[in-house]
Amino acid sequence: MPADPRPQLRPPRHRVDPKARRWWTVQALLVVSGPLLLVAAALLALSVLFFPGALPWLAPLVLVVLVLPSVGYLIAMPRWRYAVHAWELGEQAVYAASGWLWQQRRIAPLSRVQTVDAVRGPVQRRYGLATVTVTTASTAGDIKIAGLSDADAEELSRRISDAAQVVPGDAS
Amino acid sequence: MTASADDGSGDWRRLDRRTLLVHCQWLGAPLGSIALAALATGGQIPTGSWIALGCIAAAFVAITLGGLVHWARTEFRVDAEALAVRSGLFTRRLRTVPLRRIRSVDLTASPVHRLLGLTVLRAGTAGSGTGLSEMSLNALRVRDAERLRTEILAHVDRSAVADDPLVSRINWRWLRYAPLTFWVIGGVFTVAGAASRILDGAGIQAWRLPFVRRAFSEFGSSMLWLTVPALLLAILVVGSLGALVVYAENWWNYRLEWTDARMLRVRRGLLTTRSVTIERDRLRGAVIREPLLLRAGGGAQVRAVAGGLGNREDNRRRSALLPPAPRGEAVRVAAGALQAPFPEADLIAHPRAALRRRRTRGLVLAVLPGVVALAVLGAVFSSGVLLHAAWVYGLVATLAVLWLARDAYRSLGHTIAGPYLLARSGTFHRDTVALQRESIAAWTFTTSPLGRRAGVVTLTAAVAAGEEGYRIPDADAVEAPSFAAEVSPGIVEEFLEPAPTSSGG
Repeated sequence: MPADPRPQLRPPRHRVDPKARRWWTVQALLVVSGPLLLVAAALLALSVLFFPGALPWLAPLVLVVLVLPSVGYLIAMPRWRYAVHAWELGEQAVYAASGWLWQQRRIAPLSRVQTVDAVRGPVQRRYGLATVTVTTASTAGDIKIAGLSDADAEELSRRISDAAQVVPGDAS
Repeated sequence: MTASADDGSGDWRRLDRRTLLVHCQWLGAPLGSIALAALATGGQIPTGSWIALGCIAAAFVAITLGGLVHWARTEFRVDAEALAVRSGLFTRRLRTVPLRRIRSVDLTASPVHRLLGLTVLRAGTAGSGTGLSEMSLNALRVRDAERLRTEILAHVDRSAVADDPLVSRINWRWLRYAPLTFWVIGGVFTVAGAASRILDGAGIQAWRLPFVRRAFSEFGSSMLWLTVPALLLAILVVGSLGALVVYAENWWNYRLEWTDARMLRVRRGLLTTRSVTIERDRLRGAVIREPLLLRAGGGAQVRAVAGGLGNREDNRRRSALLPPAPRGEAVRVAAGALQAPFPEADLIAHPRAALRRRRTRGLVLAVLPGVVALAVLGAVFSSGVLLHAAWVYGLVATLAVLWLARDAYRSLGHTIAGPYLLARSGTFHRDTVALQRESIAAWTFTTSPLGRRAGVVTLTAAVAAGEEGYRIPDADAVEAPSFAAEVSPGIVEEFLEPAPTSSGG
């Protein structure tokens, strides 16, 4: 295969805050892994108490179907996300990467930016994190940068709104 | 414009008085269901039904009262600058929209409205989606509504009407495409479902009616190899008739024309008449849609990609520019709406990996579960019939999946044609979309775990119109960034870097 002349999309320059990994871990624990592990524990407890005979086949089944996937998710998802999530404010456009298995890179020019919001969820607030949402006229063009530190989020919102005012455009 | 402005442009105006009668239509439903229940039970309505009927009646009386209050407290005004609507019972609300922000004016009349000579006027502004971006006046006399529309759209430049403003009109030979739409089968079940719901609401259980039971027992006892095909044939015939009726109701008197240099108008409808006006500046492109059946018959539909048509559901209803019609006509209409030839240039094919992915997806999602389920059931019950069913299903479904995957792969394609981005995809619904390149507001590159290994990426072009996001699925990952840069300069360039010297596939 000859060297390809086509330029490629590089990842955005700035990573999100390292504390985001902890936030994603807590989120995974609350939404996916925690409930699954509870179900597994309840099943095993019931089996030990009432159906000891079922344990030899139930325990491996629970391990493979519930415990391993939820622990794997808990360990892999935050790290993987942290490796993918990134953002960059260019001269003409905002650029953000997100996701972990399914990954998304979105670029919206500053001339189309309509509003910039910084939102802090309850768990995010504990870790001093925020999510910045940049909306455009099209819902398919909204950019979400999750897991920024508070200071970064504020700074970024300010810089995006400043830049959006400088770059001419009708935001439609 | 001046003549119509005399009768009090600038004064607050009321909705038409006959609107009161329109609101009373809601009383029809409870009265009807009470009558139906009384009829079906011979006057002996059970208590449960009485309660249900009472609740229905109360709800509908509340709706009627709401409508009456709405009429009494709504006023509107048009002056040279803006359209203003004042409404609300306790909280008075005044909404003012500058006329130059109004992007489309839509007149709709339900059968009840038409009986009374009324119509509903909706003015849509540029904002996308939310209900706040729309003002509706329910209802006005048809003549007043048309005059009001001229007033609202008076700012529009009407100097340069195109040479032939008429783009397309109904041709009843297109009716042959009606049975190729969803309504053939879906219509029968929709009608049956609605009927049983209505009967159920009135306290009648359809399967207890004597003639239904007799029909069922006779159906079961007679020769199935004759009655089952007969039943299917009957469904097909009824469905086709239904599809014809739906087509005629939707597209009666269909006309697509430029009312002036900047306004494209669609008029259609038999019982419910519909008239949608789209401003040219808001028309961002067109979609030629070919559902599988329709495509097999050589037909296609056309939809507009336009802003200001309301939320997703409204947009689906209002964006139709052409009913199912021959494909050549669809291309012609799309070109007429874009006022440029619909650029069906040679599309850039997608990598072979896209074909493999479609095959695998079909085999894993459609063939495998069915075969496994049948085989396991067959093994458990040691039933030879089920085991045979498993391999027959596997064979037939595999062939179908291979054919569909090939078709889906052949449909894939994208290219740049003059000021338009052209993208085609889909097999059950093949959509060919032409998007104005300068209207693209953002680019998204989506990859899946398997897609990254196969070297494909899904590109999404965001526009503030139509379905908002238009996808180019499974494009070549190496080519995609530079393609996006070429389509809309000034978005992705600054994030591009030269490819590393050996980019292994």
